[in-house]
Amino acid sequence: MKIHDLPRPDFSKKSFLVVEDYEGMRGILRDLLGRAGTTRIDFASSGGHALAMLEKNRYDAVLCDLHLGQGKNGQQVLEEARLRHLIAPHAVWLMVSAEKTSEMVMGTAETRPDDYLVKPITETLLFTRLLRQMDKKKVLAPIEQAMRDHEYLRAMRLADQLLTAPNPHTWDLKRLKAELALLSGDLKQASAVFEEALSQRDLPWARLGLARILFQDGQLDEARRHLLQVTGGSRSYLDAHDWLARTLENLGDLDGAQVALERALSVSPHIAARQTSLGQVAARRGDTEAAARAFRRGIELGRNSPQASAEPYLSLARVFLARDENGEAAKVIGQLAGDMKGDSQAQFLARVMEIPIRLKTGGERAAHKLLEELAPTLRDDAHRLPPEMAFDLAGPLMQLGDMETTHAVFTSLLANHHEHPDYANRIRTLFAEAGREEEGMKLVEEATRTALEIMDKGVRLSREGKLDEALSLLREARHKIPTNPRLLLNHAYLLISYMEQRGRDLHLVKEALDCIQTARNLRPHEKRAGELLAKLEQVGG
Amino acid sequence: MSDSPFLNAEAGMSMSNFLVSSVHDMKNSLSVMASFLESALAQAPDQSAPLYQQTCQALYESQRINDHLIQLLALYKIEQEFYPFDPQEQNLAELADDALSRVANLARSNGVSLEYECPDDLNAWVDYELILGVLVQALHNALHYTRDSVLCLIAADPRGGITIRVEDNGPGFPDFLLRQGTSRDRGVSFETGSTGLGLYFAAVVAGLHRGGERGGSTHLENGGHLGGGCFCLELP
Repeated sequence: MKIHDLPRPDFSKKSFLVVEDYEGMRGILRDLLGRAGTTRIDFASSGGHALAMLEKNRYDAVLCDLHLGQGKNGQQVLEEARLRHLIAPHAVWLMVSAEKTSEMVMGTAETRPDDYLVKPITETLLFTRLLRQMDKKKVLAPIEQAMRDHEYLRAMRLADQLLTAPNPHTWDLKRLKAELALLSGDLKQASAVFEEALSQRDLPWARLGLARILFQDGQLDEARRHLLQVTGGSRSYLDAHDWLARTLENLGDLDGAQVALERALSVSPHIAARQTSLGQVAARRGDTEAAARAFRRGIELGRNSPQASAEPYLSLARVFLARDENGEAAKVIGQLAGDMKGDSQAQFLARVMEIPIRLKTGGERAAHKLLEELAPTLRDDAHRLPPEMAFDLAGPLMQLGDMETTHAVFTSLLANHHEHPDYANRIRTLFAEAGREEEGMKLVEEATRTALEIMDKGVRLSREGKLDEALSLLREARHKIPTNPRLLLNHAYLLISYMEQRGRDLHLVKEALDCIQTARNLRPHEKRAGELLAKLEQVGG
Repeated sequence: MSDSPFLNAEAGMSMSNFLVSSVHDMKNSLSVMASFLESALAQAPDQSAPLYQQTCQALYESQRINDHLIQLLALYKIEQEFYPFDPQEQNLAELADDALSRVANLARSNGVSLEYECPDDLNAWVDYELILGVLVQALHNALHYTRDSVLCLIAADPRGGITIRVEDNGPGFPDFLLRQGTSRDRGVSFETGSTGLGLYFAAVVAGLHRGGERGGSTHLENGGHLGGGCFCLELP
């Protein structure tokens, strides 16, 4: 029989940041850390204050409360700090919370803290977890560095090496490896880890991982089966609800998608992006009441935060226009212009949305004037319009008789989205309804052909070994058609082939990385982006 | 749960928000209170003074309130289907260290010997907070009823899984409690004033831990190594 009388760790050389809005708790943590000899403790009482401290100092560990009263919460602080590289690779981030919440489960390597501590925090709990996580971060620091360099294959190799010997972080490593495999498009390795985890226990994160792979692989029914299993017993697994909604939406089950999002929002109503997704599903179902409510909440939640987006404003204005509540639409657009003053893209979109609003409120001359002002930008930079806004604009542009801008807008839309299943049909219908059926057919055909021809020509040139010519073709194309994921990935592929023949070049690596990241932002679930990232990493120097 | 007034979506959310946020608040206050009491005990010159004993009692009561808040909140979330159940492979000696450290002051001030046995390398898939809650509650209970010794035994189960036993050398559990077992549907005992919350919580938590077809379970017995009450938790 024994009592573990744990020797106190020595933290005298470690520096800490404690982020906590509650004074009593700050005192407790100072006292606890002091027992391990810590003298270097800074305190921040709000998220903004914490970020300012992180900008100035590099800490060995951050203890951050999840709920920080007004302003940013602990999770937002962590994500912003990671994004801005304010945390050293070896630094430990422990999130402190009064209770176990749904934010604590799932998430990705980018969004998860190293560990969670649920109050009340005792000396033993704090020291055990700090020591374990400090040890883990030391072991994982090279992997973390590789991830920061976007070198996921190297990161995976390092993880595999560590996994050959027994160590106390086996499952953390395996889970990380699965995420790395997903990032580099290696679905098979990711799958293997998730299957192994599921053979141990019915672990929600592993089942979600499998479902994501099935989704990427187009096996939507199978993905749905797993997601229903994860979400069936608990509303807590928020990511799984988002994926279920996405899957059901793709299967055409909009009612189910709305229910899934509403269930997640009933647990965690404060996520702007999820409210906006709910609005979009509701709008597609024709439930304009629910859509307007969700967009409104999305606007409130995003306002003044780094997550602020023009999307819910524009969508809400669209709902109002469809219901002939034109005054309300104008109000929302006014709000957008006011809320996102520093964002030139948001300002541009707000101005564009004013065209249909002015037209519907009887201001044909005012609309005309605004269009004259905006038309040059609309023609030259048509890709700046989100697809749905191109459709918002179609009727008004035709009504105002500006066929040149109409053509520019839709040519750009199709060239950038030549693989989209609906756009071509919607455009043909739109033109047909305006009595311009033939014109619409011709536009669709020419715009789609432009994108395809560039791709064909690029492939042909590179097959013929004319890599320089192929590269300048794709660079020029990217200038005109900057948001076509397929073209971007072809561009990256060409850059990689180029370097395989002529050697690694830092500028070209950067150019390829930029293409891949842009494509991934446009189409997050495209596995080819990960595969190219892996290939890029392997290009010898 | 179908007749719960909380099920109405809007009302449910606001009630849930009040519950959750006031429990946060109460737990914050409690942890400050408990840490003041603990430092008062640590600085007390005379451990036989009545004030010292009363401070011990206050510490015990504050920890009991904390146990209950944790259990109520977790049960509410489990029944409303939003407890974030998250099993992780956990080293059980670490878990035992954490659990015992939470009651060590109380044991010391009550003059109770508190020990545990657990292989250093024994791991299990557990939801840390739930199992910690069960274990701390069982330890508090044992410390309250024991004469002078409490023992926590954690071992691998030869049938697979693990067993956690909390044993004491007190008078043992009364017959009616042993007869009732820990089934989830046992009612409030007016005989003892016990609400049965702790045992109900333990049974629900055990049941959530599943390995294949098998679920965890709890039971009470008398005897064990110390001859008093034994609380047993088996996890697959």
